[in-house]
Amino acid sequence: MSARLPNTVPQDWQGETYHGRPVVKASSFDWKVSAYIVMLGIAGSAQVIAAVARRQPGSAGLVRRARWLALAGSMVGPLTLVQHLKTRSRWFNMLRIVRPTSPMSLGSWLLTGFGALSGATALGAWLGRRWPLAGRVAEAAQGPAALAGAGMSIYTASLLSSTSTPLWAAAPAPLAAQFGTASMAGAASALALVQRAVGEERSARRLETLAMLAGAAELLAKRETESRWRRAGIAAPAKEGAPGALLQGGGTWLGLLAPIAAHALGRAADRRGGRAGEVLPELASLAMILGGAAMRHGVLLAGNESACRPRDAFRVTQR
Amino acid sequence: MDGGLAHPRVLEHTDRDPQKPIPQEAEVTAGCRVEPGRSYGFFTDTTLCIGCKACEVACKEWNNLPADNLGMTGQSYDNTGRLGAHTWRHVTFLEQDARATSMPPFQSNWLMMSDVCKHCDPAPCLEACPTGALFRTEFDTVVVQQDICNGCGYCVPACPFGVVELAKEDGKAHKCTLCYDRLKGGLEPACAKSCPTDSIQFGPVEELQRRAEARVTDLHEKGQPKAYLYGTPGAPGTGKGLHHLNAFFLLTERPELYNLPPAPARPARNARPSLLSGLATIAGLAVAAALVGVGRR
Repeated sequence: MSARLPNTVPQDWQGETYHGRPVVKASSFDWKVSAYIVMLGIAGSAQVIAAVARRQPGSAGLVRRARWLALAGSMVGPLTLVQHLKTRSRWFNMLRIVRPTSPMSLGSWLLTGFGALSGATALGAWLGRRWPLAGRVAEAAQGPAALAGAGMSIYTASLLSSTSTPLWAAAPAPLAAQFGTASMAGAASALALVQRAVGEERSARRLETLAMLAGAAELLAKRETESRWRRAGIAAPAKEGAPGALLQGGGTWLGLLAPIAAHALGRAADRRGGRAGEVLPELASLAMILGGAAMRHGVLLAGNESACRPRDAFRVTQR
Repeated sequence: MDGGLAHPRVLEHTDRDPQKPIPQEAEVTAGCRVEPGRSYGFFTDTTLCIGCKACEVACKEWNNLPADNLGMTGQSYDNTGRLGAHTWRHVTFLEQDARATSMPPFQSNWLMMSDVCKHCDPAPCLEACPTGALFRTEFDTVVVQQDICNGCGYCVPACPFGVVELAKEDGKAHKCTLCYDRLKGGLEPACAKSCPTDSIQFGPVEELQRRAEARVTDLHEKGQPKAYLYGTPGAPGTGKGLHHLNAFFLLTERPELYNLPPAPARPARNARPSLLSGLATIAGLAVAAALVGVGRR
C-alpha cells in the first residue's frame, strides 16, 4: 500500500492531468511481436499436445506432426522477433545475462531451450528410424519440451503484464489464462487441419473437441479480464477503434463464438449425414487460429493506446 | 591568504591546469564528496523552482543531446513537453486559476517542477532489461550502457514514470545517467550545478532526505502547509514494490498536477501471478486433452 497524501492537499483526484500529456510511454511493440506471440503460442501448445497424445495408441502421426509444427514455430518466430529490435545486429545480447525479474529475459532463455528441445523431438524421431539412440533422445526430450512449451504458451502475457502500461498491468492472471487458452485452441485447431488433410479424421475430431474446450475456457478468462479493466475504469481502449474491432469482432466472434458454433453445427450435420460437415470443421479451425491472432494483436494495440491516456495511468495508480 | 569569495578547497589548487576541474569539485559546488559505494541522488524542491530551464540547457550541453522540439506547445511556458531520449530534464509549468490575491507563500500559483529520471530503488527499467544494458552503478544510480542495449524497448513501457525512450537515430534506449561521467570525475551533475536557486540539490540520498524533511517542517512553519515529499520511503510515489526514489521531490499540490502518479507500482510483481495462472491454465487443458483422448484414432 502506498502512503496517503497529506491532509493539506485535496484527498480525491478530480481527473486532473498535466496538460493532458501521457504519464507513461507506450511500447514500441507492433505486429511483429503479435506474430511471434501467436506462432510460439501455437508451437508451445503443440508440444503439450504431443506429450499427452504419445501415450495413446495410433498417435504416431499426430505426435510427429505436432513436433514438426513446434520446431517450425520455434525457428520462424524468433526471426520475426529479432526484426522488432531497433538494433537487430545485437540480438544475441538477449542471452548475455539471466534476469529473473524480467519475463523477456526468462522468455529468451525459455525460447532457446524450447527450440533445442523441439529440434531434439522432431529430428530425433526422424533420425530414430535409422539410429535407435536418436529415437530414445527424442522420447526423453518430449517431457521437457512440453514443459517449455507450456511456458512458451503463456509467458508473453506475463511479459506484457510486467509493465506500467495500464491495460496490460491491470489483469495479470486472467490475461495469462486468456493467452494460454488461445495458444491451446490455436495449436489444437492447426493440428486438426493437418490431421484432416492427411485423412485422420477421428484424430482431428478429438483435437477439435480440445479446441472447443479451450475456446470455452478462453471466453471465461476474457470475461474476467474485461471485468477487471472495467472495474479499474480503463476498458475504453479495448472497445474502441482498431483494437476494439480486433478484440471483439476478431477475438470473440471470429475466434470463439463462430468456430464453436460451426463445430457444433458440423457435428450435427455429420450425424444427419449432411454435407456441411465436410467444410465446417476446416473453416472453424481456420477461424480459431485467425481469431486467436486478432485477440493477441488487439491486446497489444489496446495496451499501447491505454499508455497514451493519462487518466487511465492515474486511475490505476491512485492507491 | 585571503581568498575572498572563493571556497577554501579551491585555494588548495591554485597551480592546477585551468582546463581541468579540481579533484572532488562537488565538495565545492554541492558540499559533498562523490565516493563509490554511496547512494547519490537529487532532491528537487519545487517551491524554489523559478522555471528558468537552466537545468534543461546544462543537461543538453554536457550530454551532447540534440534539440527535439523548437516549437511552442501552448501549454504555459512548457515548450519541452516531456522527458525522452534526448530530454533528461524537463521543467513542468502549471498555471493555477486562483486569483493572485490568494497566493500562498513560496512559488505563487504557478507550479514549476524540474522533472528527471527517478533512479528508483528497485528500478523497473533495470528489472525489465533482458540484456543487462541497464545496470546500477557504484553511485546507486541507474544507467543504460549504450554498447550493450539492443533496442528491444522493454524498459520503455516498464518505467512507471514514462522516462526511458528509444532514440530513432541510433535504436537504443536513453535516459538520465545522473551524469555518471561527472560523478566518476568528482563533479556535481550538470543540472544541479547550474540551478541558480538550488531547487535541484545533489548529494548522498540519506543526507538529502534529512535535508528535505527539515525543509518541509520549515515550509509548514512559514505558512505553506501543503508542502510534502514525493519519493522518500513511505511517502507518495513509493509503496507497491517501489521502496524509494533516489531522485525525489518536494511538492505542494496533488502529484497528478506535476504528471506524477500518486502510487506507482513495481511492474515485476505482476510476473508471478501471471505465470502461475498461465501454467495452471495449460495444465488444466493438458488434463482436458488427456480426457478427450487426443491422439487416439
